[in-house]
Amino acid sequence: MTSPETRIRSLDDPSLFVDTPATIYDAIPPYPPRTEREAEFYTLREGEMLINIGPQHPSTHGVLRVVLKIDGERIVDLDPVLGYLHRGVEKICENSDWHMVISHCDPLEYIASMFSEYVPVLAAEKLLDVTVPRRADYIRVLACELNRISSHALFMGWLALDLGGITPILYGFLERDEIVEMLAALTGQRLLFNYMRIGGVNGDLNHEFMSRLGDWMSHALRHIEDSMTLINSNEIFVGRTRGLGRIDRQTALRMCLSGPPLRATGIPYDVRRAHPYSVYPELEFEIPTREEGDSYARYLLHLDEIKQSIHIIDQVLHRIPDGPIMAKLPRLLRPRPGRAWAAIESPRGQYGVYAMSDGTDQPFRLRIHDPSFFNLQSVGLLSPGHLIADIMAIMASLDPIMGGVDK
Amino acid sequence: MADVADVMRTIHDDPALRFELLADLCGVDTGTAMEVVYHLWSAGTRDWLRVVASGLSREDPRAPSVTFLWRGAEWAEREAYDMFGIVFEGNRDLRRIYMPPDYRSFPLRKDFLLPDDASRSPGEGVRPMEAAPEPAVLTGTPADLRHARGATP
Repeated sequence: MTSPETRIRSLDDPSLFVDTPATIYDAIPPYPPRTEREAEFYTLREGEMLINIGPQHPSTHGVLRVVLKIDGERIVDLDPVLGYLHRGVEKICENSDWHMVISHCDPLEYIASMFSEYVPVLAAEKLLDVTVPRRADYIRVLACELNRISSHALFMGWLALDLGGITPILYGFLERDEIVEMLAALTGQRLLFNYMRIGGVNGDLNHEFMSRLGDWMSHALRHIEDSMTLINSNEIFVGRTRGLGRIDRQTALRMCLSGPPLRATGIPYDVRRAHPYSVYPELEFEIPTREEGDSYARYLLHLDEIKQSIHIIDQVLHRIPDGPIMAKLPRLLRPRPGRAWAAIESPRGQYGVYAMSDGTDQPFRLRIHDPSFFNLQSVGLLSPGHLIADIMAIMASLDPIMGGVDK
Repeated sequence: MADVADVMRTIHDDPALRFELLADLCGVDTGTAMEVVYHLWSAGTRDWLRVVASGLSREDPRAPSVTFLWRGAEWAEREAYDMFGIVFEGNRDLRRIYMPPDYRSFPLRKDFLLPDDASRSPGEGVRPMEAAPEPAVLTGTPADLRHARGATP
């Protein structure tokens, strides 16, 4: 006979889990601080408290946990906790074939996966010294710019959604859905395209893609502009984003920002012009910049970039040459031993891959530089002093994709 | 290895160079030594520059932090610490970033092996599935049986 206190409880007993304190979601970690910064962050002064956002929260755009230190409604400091979506893609890539790398890198930036599969392909092509056929290069640019528009359209809706406006995201999804269906006709997939190949692309332009593209091009700009007039000069939207999360040029460079958050401060750094790849030197487009560096500037910049992308697509359709879409390459690729750095301009900024080859068919090291990871970091710099509700607007305007942040 | 900090400061500040944009920072394990690789970009030359801090010891890799120039390198250094165990001196927040805080290994090191056959390269020869051994012969001496199961005699 055992009393309830001394009874050894089975692991199947659900009350064991109910009674166990859920330390993983406790704001204060159960171990002593390991670094100077952690000790500083988890020491509370009079009137301060810690609260948790996430790891499952609609406004974190994925599985991100943020520990906020607040004083009343004002944010004093914050500590983002990453790793909930970490899959070890770099390690997996080291242990797979060069061709398999494409499909492993594909789901990293899952809103714009055409870009995350383009970069490793570009790095492999540099190591192989292969020249891509011009038609394939044009098709790549076409697919990438379409994907950029869909990603930007979704961003603009998301930003409004995080500020409490439901309608704009429906219009964002309308645009995105047309593009996604179009790319599905081209690649066979709606979200994770797996379209790029080392030396070219997987399939040529087809009739369904071209007819959908033609339909869409005839009204794209008008539709996007129409739907964005919903929020462009909406008093509440502008009032909540203008002047919020302002960052200046020097700080933006010091924080390693890239993409729209960097260009919103006035630095015209766009890899398509800064270090041109593919056929971008032949195409005519501008790099839109803004001076303010706040959330509203980042939002408006996305609209300008959509216009430039439509302009690029228009030129590509007029210039695309005939010819093969794949370079002649052996099935099993053994690039020369060496190092290659390839970077492209993804919708979120500079997306880079640093590949090292040792002459075998597997990459020796494949470093993936994701812009979301570097952009998200400055949320800790931009948020202090703002209200809790404003951190959503700041984070959404930096546009992180947690698949890429956590790799 | 204190030269790394000096080199980075020079190429960042020198008016003829002005490599102000840190494009990437990553760790590399060459199997014999550790490296830290920096990629920079300058508006003057309009080209990338790769700086490799090579030959860090594998037992106790240490490199100076560049957070005094680029505060945004903090997370990149945390990632290199998390994956390779490279200690960046001067980084005030060198915690693990992806792996849980009580994790002990450094997963991207070359001596961290994946346990499954999926990590084997198809280029090393035939694929593991194609190379499946003959079905075990269930008659014969125990030595034969051991041999059929692939054990060394």
